[in-house]
Amino acid sequence: MNILGISCYYHDAAACLISNGKLVAAAQEERFSRIKNSLDFPINAINYCIQAGEITFSDIDCVVFYEKPFLKFSRVVISHLKAYPFSFKNFLETMPNWLKDRLITPLVLKKEIGYKGRVLFIKHHLSHAASSFLVSPFEKAAILTADGVGEWATMTYGVGQGNQITILKEICYPDSLGLLYTAVTTYLGFRPLRGEGKVMGLAGCGKSRYVDKFRKIVQVRPDGSFRLDQRYFGFNKGLRMYSVKFIRLFGRARSPEGKIEERHCDIAASLQQFIEEILVGIVRQLYNKTKNDNLCLAGGLFLNCVANHRILKETPFKNIFVQPAAGDSGGALGAALYVYNTILKNSRNYVMHHAYFGPDFSTAQIKMALLKHGLSFREINNQLLFKYIARELSQDKIIGWFQGRMEFGPRALGNRSILANPCNPDIKELLNSKVKKRESFRPYAPAVLEEKAQEFFELQHLSPFMLLAAKVRADKKNLIPGVIHVDGSARVQSVNKDANSKFWYLIKEFENITGVPILVNTSFNLKGEPIVCTPEDAIKCFQRSEMDYLVLENCVVEKK
Amino acid sequence: MDIIGQENINQMNTQKICQRCVLPENKPDVWLNERKICNICIEYEKTKSAQGDNKVLETDFIKMLNQYKGKAKYDCLVMCSGGKDSTSALYYMKRRYKLNPLAFTFDHGFETEDAMENVRNAVETLGVDFLFFKTDFMKDMFSEILKTNSKAVICHPCSIWYMGLTFDMAARFNIPIIIAGWTKGQSTKQPTMSKCGCNIHQKEFYAMAKSTREFLDSYTKKHSKYKNFSKSMEEVLIRAKKKNKCIVLSPHWFLPFDTMAYVEIIKKELKWKPPRLSYPKKTTNCYLNFISVYNSMKHYGYTHYHVEASKLIREGLLSREEALKSLEINFDKELLNKIAKKLDYRFD
Repeated sequence: MNILGISCYYHDAAACLISNGKLVAAAQEERFSRIKNSLDFPINAINYCIQAGEITFSDIDCVVFYEKPFLKFSRVVISHLKAYPFSFKNFLETMPNWLKDRLITPLVLKKEIGYKGRVLFIKHHLSHAASSFLVSPFEKAAILTADGVGEWATMTYGVGQGNQITILKEICYPDSLGLLYTAVTTYLGFRPLRGEGKVMGLAGCGKSRYVDKFRKIVQVRPDGSFRLDQRYFGFNKGLRMYSVKFIRLFGRARSPEGKIEERHCDIAASLQQFIEEILVGIVRQLYNKTKNDNLCLAGGLFLNCVANHRILKETPFKNIFVQPAAGDSGGALGAALYVYNTILKNSRNYVMHHAYFGPDFSTAQIKMALLKHGLSFREINNQLLFKYIARELSQDKIIGWFQGRMEFGPRALGNRSILANPCNPDIKELLNSKVKKRESFRPYAPAVLEEKAQEFFELQHLSPFMLLAAKVRADKKNLIPGVIHVDGSARVQSVNKDANSKFWYLIKEFENITGVPILVNTSFNLKGEPIVCTPEDAIKCFQRSEMDYLVLENCVVEKK
Repeated sequence: MDIIGQENINQMNTQKICQRCVLPENKPDVWLNERKICNICIEYEKTKSAQGDNKVLETDFIKMLNQYKGKAKYDCLVMCSGGKDSTSALYYMKRRYKLNPLAFTFDHGFETEDAMENVRNAVETLGVDFLFFKTDFMKDMFSEILKTNSKAVICHPCSIWYMGLTFDMAARFNIPIIIAGWTKGQSTKQPTMSKCGCNIHQKEFYAMAKSTREFLDSYTKKHSKYKNFSKSMEEVLIRAKKKNKCIVLSPHWFLPFDTMAYVEIIKKELKWKPPRLSYPKKTTNCYLNFISVYNSMKHYGYTHYHVEASKLIREGLLSREEALKSLEINFDKELLNKIAKKLDYRFD
């Protein structure tokens, strides 16, 4: 049975294909359209999924959409009415999109892919819950989902057992931790739905001296739930997500080009701490209700690796699972699996051990792309490749590393990665100046051999999807200065030999040379662009940056 | 073995060849700059950077198919030569898109036994209706081209004729779509050929197309048998438009699969066999193709296969090395004369 899952029209559009309960292909539309966080109908991703799944369009048994459009539409209309007349302009801008495609998904499917069969709609947060629990290794687990907003819900918790998911409680719009985070992100001068990670990075640089002010605008109840004081926000009222009252409380907002001051770092730190406190409170309540050791997290908020690690550290849960595409792109996966496992009552037969579900390319295709761009290259066997690249990395060279299938989700996990030497204290500046052009406060993440993760980081659990941030052990800090954030933490990826053997062997070779089983791993893209998908994208990225080497499978290109 | 094209290869080796594609200099249409890159490649780069990547998707193809699916007895007419590209096109139409195709093959008297066997196997395995048309109609014209040492490329009037014939067949059965197995290198403009014209208007074809046109203009006037013969592909399309508004598509323009992938499928599913004798290597063509290649090399220094391969190289779908290898002349005089005998001609 072939189920096509789709998420789109808000941000991070994606498609995935489930064949007999197993995930065979999944990718975000942005990787093909080259429009970051693309919200468009994922036509490219769908084409890819069908072709990668070696099925035809007529073999699709069911298409599942990751939310209920009419329910969401009711929230949009009601919230705009409530905010009238301030919301009128927003309303006029939003409505055509709803009428054009968002409310007529079956017609869009018929038009775009010729599909006339059954279309199902699963609630947004249920899709999130399913995207985590149904691919987790747990038979039974507590589930917590949180993001900006789905239809009405902004946070849900419940329990999963076998192939069933029960939602116990929902917190609804406009009370949303995700929207709070995004509102402060825009207040701090970053782009909504893109800059949240930057705020998380900025938080590490500040002191949480504004937490009381956040307590003033968000009322937290004894059961862990919360309420946003709407006088401080303006979610539907105009161009800003925060109100004048918010500015009066926190001071002038930072303009996107403005200087980052200490105050901005402190606000970010306070927001981060405040969100973590609320989440820890809710998770403790959830444990009391479920008394289960396993926790599944999903929704954009749980791309926040600092919060995830704090939840793991400070709550009674012993095991945690966060799916790599925890944001809306993963909704496509959850919706499809929910239909297969829960609605159709098929037992679960799949655990997500890795995130490599995107396109891959043959050596012939890679060579062709290199020749087309007039690049000379060397083809090296695996053993020599690992030795050679590890040696170059140890000499502070920056490597574009393109291998196998592209990752599903926002993190580059060793198949579309830029790699560097973590032992070099100046590597962040080098990467920023030569390639990434990032803000200086943002740290780079370490990819560590799974077996050595605890030796270097205060990490009790594996973090294969780079979704846990842990403190670097005191005695190792001087070994890996390139990946330590100012607060002493690092966003760790633990690399498993079976899940990604080429990446594992490369890190191992690096360890043989330097004694450090870690590499700097950052996404293979330039500022403002999606992660590369094809060899062509990788070559263009390589040519436009100052990377020293490009490794496409076993073909090595050296920058002249 | 007396490799008949060796002198032409030698000629090509001494000729200036584009360092990016495989086209030799052939002024005024094809010329190389100081970096030995041809004007076609330079023009391609300019157009490409101006237009950006214009990716087409399988769903674009499906959308077009769905416009016509189920509206006539046959959903499409598949031009099937028995080669890998057209056989796989027939396979895709039947199995991947679940259409009801009518397979159409013609034989002008020079088709190979291998190709015909592949067609037979494919239509039998797929269980599709099959229309086979055999005629000597073109024989006199082919013979004239050889005997007069015309620069007209034999394949051009043949393409004009069989395309016209295909449109006629589509009109007769009221079929809305013609499916060809053309690769991305065999047409300049996509996705539908009937809307856009065909690739003989490319600069690389100017000289060849001009000679063919001149030959057809004078020859068809003299011979009443060919009085209604179209003088160009453009004319075929104009005539076809009047008869039946059908479109011409190739699945290979829309599918990302490489040749190896679909060759494996048709080998396994349709008992397809690669030809024993072919030029370029690993392609299936009629016997006249060898004569056409010989003449093209003699008159122009390159063939339409060089044009196709060059386009594939520019698109990043074929390496230059592979192209040069597949374009090496590998047939002998004996074979040419055996074929030419049917046309009362002998190569000295």
